[in-house]
Amino acid sequence: MTSTWRLVVVLGSICFAASLALSSVYDVTKEPIAYQKKLEMIRSLQAVLPGMTVDPDSGYLDMQRENGAPVRVFRSISEGKVQGAAFEVVAPDGFSGNIYIMMGVKPNGELGGIVILSHAETPGLGSPIEKEAWKGQFKGRSLENTDLRVKKDGGDIDQMTGATISPRAVTGAVRNGLEWFDKNKDQILTYEEKTS
Amino acid sequence: MSTYGKEFSKAFFKENPILVMALGLCPVLAVSTSAINGIAMGLATTFVLVCSSTVVSSLRSIIPSKVRIPSFIIVIASFVTIVDLAMNAYAHSMHKTLGLFIPLIVVNCVILGRSEAFASRNPILKSIVDAVGMGLAFTMTLGLLGGIREILGSGAIFGYPLLGTKYAAMLIMILPPGAFIALGVMLATFNSFQRD
Repeated sequence: MTSTWRLVVVLGSICFAASLALSSVYDVTKEPIAYQKKLEMIRSLQAVLPGMTVDPDSGYLDMQRENGAPVRVFRSISEGKVQGAAFEVVAPDGFSGNIYIMMGVKPNGELGGIVILSHAETPGLGSPIEKEAWKGQFKGRSLENTDLRVKKDGGDIDQMTGATISPRAVTGAVRNGLEWFDKNKDQILTYEEKTS
Repeated sequence: MSTYGKEFSKAFFKENPILVMALGLCPVLAVSTSAINGIAMGLATTFVLVCSSTVVSSLRSIIPSKVRIPSFIIVIASFVTIVDLAMNAYAHSMHKTLGLFIPLIVVNCVILGRSEAFASRNPILKSIVDAVGMGLAFTMTLGLLGGIREILGSGAIFGYPLLGTKYAAMLIMILPPGAFIALGVMLATFNSFQRD
């Protein structure tokens, strides 16, 4: 019996010491991690809404996509008006797994730009969707001035050599995003100053 | 002093964790797509290895042999979580690339293997020397494998284009099959020299 107790006590105290160490490390790193996440968010917001300032902590709207998925619309607000909106879209039809995209839209429905937040596409084949050379072509595009499909499908967006699936998925997600923006334009572009 | 030298250098040739013992191959195959990924993963593993070997060795007379494996795993898992949190806080972009594989260090058999076979039977200083040697040999091999795959697969090293833009990259080298091929060639080359 005593030897069993010894096992319990030793293993228990090792666990206790481990949890003490972990909770103190968690405490120390909690703030830097939150700060890094925020920095990353601000960086992608600035990339999709060039020249605008967006505060990720204020002026956003929590809305729903067509399929009921929640989406947070970040808005750049100056002089009491919405200068641009940015939100995340998901392309479920990539080559492997979901592609998460941040897209920025100006009030006139033109794209400010897109950023690929995360993806698991084939390195070297589908992964160039992250490169400026490809995603940069979305800047200034809108539903009116562009057929938002890849060239292989008869649209205006360049696919890349050896990979059609990833560009097609991203382009489709961005098109859906723009269509959704168009339908909800009134709500997104109306900004009421909160009386605090 | 010469025994410490021997404990340190054995890891590079006679008992190389990857090329001779073939331990911990999951992260080796998965993250060696570029030299910098390989080295970062190797250093994270080295840190966990050195810390857990120190703790395991200093507790070796207290831990009853019946619960030694769970005790080792708790020690290792705690250090892995610490690395995970610290990396997320202070090396955020690296964490985005390696994030998925950091938790897998827990089940890296190099670490459990060294705890069980060496640290739990040897004094602290000797265990630290062994762990540093093993860790650095692991890092070196992983960096070398990553470098070979990066040069062949994307014509670059550490992100700098080495072979020029005209080089038709062998994409297969940065895809999973390339990991097996490159590792196989490395194993064969290394062992043919060792035989002599």
